[in-house]
Amino acid sequence: MARTAPATAMTVPVGDPVLEVKALYTSFFTDDGEVKAVRDVSFDLAAGETLGIVGESGCGKSVTALSILGLVPRPGRVVAGEILFKGQDLLTMDRDELREIRGRDIAMIFQDPLSSLNPVHRIGFQIDEAMHAHNKIPDAEVKPRSLDLLKRVRVPDAARRVRNYPHQFSGGMRQRVMIAMGLSNMPEILIADEPTTALDVTVQAQILQLLRDLNRDLGTSIILITHNLGVVAGLCRRVIVMYAGEIVEEGSTEQIFDSPQHPYTWALLRSLPRVDASRHERLRSIEGLPPDLIAPPPGCKFNPRCPFRLDRCRRDNPPLETVGDGQRAACWVTMRRAYAEMGAATITDTRPGAASGVRGSGIPAELASQTPESAGGAATPEPEALPHD
Amino acid sequence: MAAGVEAIDYAGGTLARAQVGLWRDGLRRLRRNRLALAAAIYLILLAAMCILSLFWTPYNPNLVGTCPDYTLPGPGHPLGCDDLGRDTLSRLMVGSQVSLTIGLVTAVIVMVLGVGIGLMIGYLRGVVDAVFALIINTFYGVPPLMVAIVLYVLLGPGLINIIIAIAATSWMDMARLVRGQTLSIREREFIEAARSSGARTGKILFGHVFPNALGPIIVQTTFVVPAAILTGAFFSFLGFGVPAPTADWGGMASEGFSPLLAGYDPYMLLFPAVFLSVTLLAFNFFGDGLRDAFDPRQRR
Amino acid sequence: MLTRGTLIYIIQRLLIIVLTLLVVSFVVFVVVHSLPGNAFISQRVHGRTLQLLLHEYGLDQPILIQYWNFLKGAVQGNLGVSLYIRGEQVTPLVLRELSVSCEVGGSALLITIGLGITFGVIAAMRQNTWVDYTVTSFAVIGYTVPSFVIAGLGVLIFANFLGSITGGSFAYAAVWTGTYGTIGELWLPALAIGLYTSGQITRITRASMLEVIQQDYIRTARAKGLRERVVTIRHALRNALVPVISILGTTVVGILVGVLVIENIFGIPGLGKEFVDSIRFHDYNVTVGVFTIFALLIGLSNLLVDLLYTVLDPRIRY
Repeated sequence: MARTAPATAMTVPVGDPVLEVKALYTSFFTDDGEVKAVRDVSFDLAAGETLGIVGESGCGKSVTALSILGLVPRPGRVVAGEILFKGQDLLTMDRDELREIRGRDIAMIFQDPLSSLNPVHRIGFQIDEAMHAHNKIPDAEVKPRSLDLLKRVRVPDAARRVRNYPHQFSGGMRQRVMIAMGLSNMPEILIADEPTTALDVTVQAQILQLLRDLNRDLGTSIILITHNLGVVAGLCRRVIVMYAGEIVEEGSTEQIFDSPQHPYTWALLRSLPRVDASRHERLRSIEGLPPDLIAPPPGCKFNPRCPFRLDRCRRDNPPLETVGDGQRAACWVTMRRAYAEMGAATITDTRPGAASGVRGSGIPAELASQTPESAGGAATPEPEALPHD
Repeated sequence: MAAGVEAIDYAGGTLARAQVGLWRDGLRRLRRNRLALAAAIYLILLAAMCILSLFWTPYNPNLVGTCPDYTLPGPGHPLGCDDLGRDTLSRLMVGSQVSLTIGLVTAVIVMVLGVGIGLMIGYLRGVVDAVFALIINTFYGVPPLMVAIVLYVLLGPGLINIIIAIAATSWMDMARLVRGQTLSIREREFIEAARSSGARTGKILFGHVFPNALGPIIVQTTFVVPAAILTGAFFSFLGFGVPAPTADWGGMASEGFSPLLAGYDPYMLLFPAVFLSVTLLAFNFFGDGLRDAFDPRQRR
Repeated sequence: MLTRGTLIYIIQRLLIIVLTLLVVSFVVFVVVHSLPGNAFISQRVHGRTLQLLLHEYGLDQPILIQYWNFLKGAVQGNLGVSLYIRGEQVTPLVLRELSVSCEVGGSALLITIGLGITFGVIAAMRQNTWVDYTVTSFAVIGYTVPSFVIAGLGVLIFANFLGSITGGSFAYAAVWTGTYGTIGELWLPALAIGLYTSGQITRITRASMLEVIQQDYIRTARAKGLRERVVTIRHALRNALVPVISILGTTVVGILVGVLVIENIFGIPGLGKEFVDSIRFHDYNVTVGVFTIFALLIGLSNLLVDLLYTVLDPRIRY
């Protein structure tokens, strides 16, 4: 498969916002206490846009998506905020109004295609059903359209396969069926929650290519939720990085890859395997665990795991501030600040693996406690499409 | 050899400790289950009444004409009298002896029989297992009550024979349970260690396999009690009960049906029915509580 | 979809049923013929007459020969003659009684499945609310309280109490009048049997629904914008029924036991009443006949249950 730089995928014209999420709070009320899974999350999605939401598992990205569709499982619920779809607040709609939006205007496909299709119904039926649930597609066109959709998502021998059951399909084929189902009502927004995680690498690439084509050909807005920045790079125009239920950084894909401002984003980029990384560099996982969301640490939620923390990080939670053209980050120690306020232009992050995704730029000396070893090792990377294709 | 013995001691030690923790934990959970607790209290009271009835009842339970026939509940005879003028309360008290005996003795027999057969077929497997599978499946192929009745008629009347007939048709579930437990436990490392150190089969089965399967066995046994009481009641109800004039709840309910259908004395049916039902409920609630407390895997 | 594999499976199962029938009928035949007394003695027939009768019915032959003769007849559908009502053919008698029992038991089965599944689903959908607690409590009471107690309470309420407050004009008539019951006569016996088994079905349906509702495909169904009722019935219940089906075999046995008891209360002329009577009157051939029919019913219903699996779950193939 050809490598695609993110910029080339962005040929779709982008229009007005179709979805505006404003100050969303979602919590799970468990016996042990309130788990604040999503806190003060706000973002816009423009028509035809492709937005990536990135973070480790448990950072609130899936819960954000489920909140949009009103599918947060018990004991969770949206506590506060607004979710405007074309100006209408989804959170104040009654059940039937929201049900009409689901699947018709906003469709969602899920992480595990093996368990996301009902094992006792034929896949043709399951796609038809999505259309029959809404009156957007005339009944007479439903069956031919199912077949057509399966062909479009490149399910071979679709005419025969519509009569098969999910267990007769491979994982990748099931995900294609899920996508066909998601597209059946020509939704304006497709939310894909880890659509490639359960699949092997070559199939991942095919599914991403499929999503890319759909965005280009149909103009469907896509929200891609993943823990894998490589997947985002291949598809998305804009990226939101979430940590512990909050947005920690937001920007265009180029900005996120070329000049990440939040240490967590750096850490994520560094954990990404790269073909052009030198042999000596190790893949670095992020040390420590995401915080307990019932009693999160005071100050910046990332501070216990952050290698660059200041005293202030332990006290005050940094607000999401504009750090560049359309780029925002929530950190007291951003790269730009390091340049501007500390005059640290010459200091380079030379920790092992630093080159993996992070442009070798200034880190305040007092923060990067290690001594420079090989400043030349820090390459200037181009964002990569897919890690392994 | 020495290493083998050590391994057993080690495994035995940790297992023993794990078991103690399990029992204490289970007892705590059982105490928290209010329904099971209420059931236990009822059962203790019932047992007390049963023991009391061995020495004292308000009237002679078998004396015909203690009061006028079909006396309705009232002063002197709080639960009324039956068609032969016998005091219902006295007969109910004595009747508990039959029900509890059937329930408890059957449960003990079923436990011994089921555990023995289950351990045997689970451990020996092969032909023995296949033969018993055929026997068990044949038993499942006919209503157990019918088999028990035929068996009882064959054996002749008497409480002991009722118990034998019921036990002979209720051991299969226990045997299957123990067989399954044996099959899974025999594969565990400490059994291997015991075997390699030369322990005899009997010692392995009763010293290692049985204690490890004890939780589910006890839970299953508590469910045999109400099932046996119910079958015993069906026996008496259909006219295959303990010989007259011994009182038992199923028989009393059966005698109460004609005055009920005729419409002049519902109490002859009502009181034994209530006692029987509440007792069965109590045993089931207590069993549920035990299962939740000691066998969490089977929890629904 | 009757594939070759399914057909072979069915044939295998039918052979096993035949084998079970042979074992059951043999054991029962031998046991029943060893019972003390016989139909003629209880009719006070003695001496020479008794010997003649025994000879006439082949009862003086060795037990294995008798069984062989029984088997020869049974293969042709002839289960012999009644010893009590002398000359009465057992096969037509048992078949007629079977149809009566099927009326009662079939209604009980309908009640069981209808009530059990409906309430199981309702309880699961309203988990941990008062609706759930009420339904589960009734389920426990249903499968704990003996059927004859429920029958008695039913008579008390609907015959005696209702009769007295309406002056006898509107009340349940507790005694079966004809061979087959009218709906008015049938419902209470059927309910008394069905409440027991429906309690079990309710419990397992509820547990199964609660498990299925957690599955990813339920979330998918909701994300499609399906109505909640469609999600519950088409997506959740279809999957939840698989474990429910697995206890239907036990349910059938429970219903047969219920038939045995309840027919004797309401004087319903079915197999259950016949079984008890035949034992009481030492009518061996009838006892063996009833046993054989019951074993056949259970075997066939177990086979039906296993075939139902393949209908409900396309992943299961034989």
